[in-house]
Amino acid sequence: MGDERLVDTFVELADTLIDDFDVIDFLHLLVDRCVELLDVDAAGLLLANQHGQLQVLASSNEQVRLLELFQLQNAEGPCLDAFAAGARVGHTDLTTAGGRWPRFAHAATDAGFTAVDALPMRLRSEVIGALNLFRTHPGELNGPALRTAQALVAVATIGLLQERSIHHQEVLTAQLQTALNSRVIIEQAKGLVAERLDMDMQDAFATLRDYARAHNLKLSDLARAVIAGRTGMHPLLTTPPPRPPSPADSDPRAR
Amino acid sequence: MAGFGDGASRHPQVRAWVAERAASLRLPVSVGLLCETAVVRLGVSGAAVTVDNAAGWAETRHTTDTLSTRLAELQVTVGEGPCTDAHRAGSLVLVADLDSPASQRRWPLFAPLAVDAGACALFALPLCVGTIQVGILALHQLKPGQLTAPTLTDALAFAALARRLLLDEQAGLPNTDGDPADALALHSPQVHQATGMIAAQLDEPMQDAFSRLRARAFTSQQPLAELAADVVARRVRFDHPDEAT
Repeated sequence: MGDERLVDTFVELADTLIDDFDVIDFLHLLVDRCVELLDVDAAGLLLANQHGQLQVLASSNEQVRLLELFQLQNAEGPCLDAFAAGARVGHTDLTTAGGRWPRFAHAATDAGFTAVDALPMRLRSEVIGALNLFRTHPGELNGPALRTAQALVAVATIGLLQERSIHHQEVLTAQLQTALNSRVIIEQAKGLVAERLDMDMQDAFATLRDYARAHNLKLSDLARAVIAGRTGMHPLLTTPPPRPPSPADSDPRAR
Repeated sequence: MAGFGDGASRHPQVRAWVAERAASLRLPVSVGLLCETAVVRLGVSGAAVTVDNAAGWAETRHTTDTLSTRLAELQVTVGEGPCTDAHRAGSLVLVADLDSPASQRRWPLFAPLAVDAGACALFALPLCVGTIQVGILALHQLKPGQLTAPTLTDALAFAALARRLLLDEQAGLPNTDGDPADALALHSPQVHQATGMIAAQLDEPMQDAFSRLRARAFTSQQPLAELAADVVARRVRFDHPDEAT
């Protein structure tokens, strides 16, 4: 685990009081760093509104996004349980979890995941969402990784609540509505890029994300520019990845 | 599963209110009836729906009163206002007090004129699907004050229904009453991905691509999410209709 990278992540997650704070980018940072820094293969994140309804706001890859949606549609799964209980929920071998989450366990193992941990995003009595960490191998998440995950989630939760507390309740609704529409814009742009560059959705997303990072753009702003034709396909393809591959990047399971 | 941000949990209730009003007046469900129902059920002073016409200007589709009309026209005339901002950013713009220093600073031309015309609060709800801009639902009040959380949730459900009616119109689909809650399958990322792919295949705007996708799902009597999955899996293309099966 790169200590320096970890420290950077904590600093970035704590910094929500900036003018152009963007929930989607913030949550993507959290899930991507979880995959990079912890011993997990994928991560997904759900956030609730004032009525306690959850929505998928970020995921480290397409499979996990669909798996999180699957949990919501079937009203079962570790993320929902962790959110409801306000406590960590996990399973070390999903091939035996059929009794607890019959449909989710099946879908998760189909997607190649064997172990899962779900951590609530909680501050005192307030639970605002949950983070799912998926692994392709059975067994417990190791102690340091788990503690690091809990610390990352705690900092992210405080960051989000701090950002919300300076605004009013209706701003939260507006912010989440905008975030959801941003997600739709990103999906539309992924489709456009996938078709133009003959890629699958995962690669289309990676292409957009890498370009956004290399040019310090918000993902949703880049998606808008691509759809409007202001950013063409050629620059997207010729942008080198923003940073040298970390050990997690070289692990094909992690992507 | 109900999502947030679009008042999904209140969709059935709002749909029932509008249908009830339509039945009592022996009229079909329309954007106009929706505006009138919104005024009654949300307890606001007026409602307006403006849509994007070919020239890109906000064209007033329906208003419930002269002040709503005036507010819509003013924003087009001076080129600024809560609806203009909601349209540009695709986000809610909720203005509890048009006469506040913050409002007057933000819209130096519009805010004083709106206050002079008698409006105190204005709430602009964008009707959009990603980059597809359909229009704006605007609600105003003669007294300052924010919408309460339950009212805002209902307002979002009215906006979702208005969006649906306008999108049906664009796609040339009949206004059906069957399973309206999921007719847009907006929870499905593949619907939006497929829209993007079709836009690239036909080199046309997202809006037209989405209309085509919905129209084909309707004529082939296939769930929208299912057809979208076929497009994403490259089993169905839209640029060579003969090859699509």
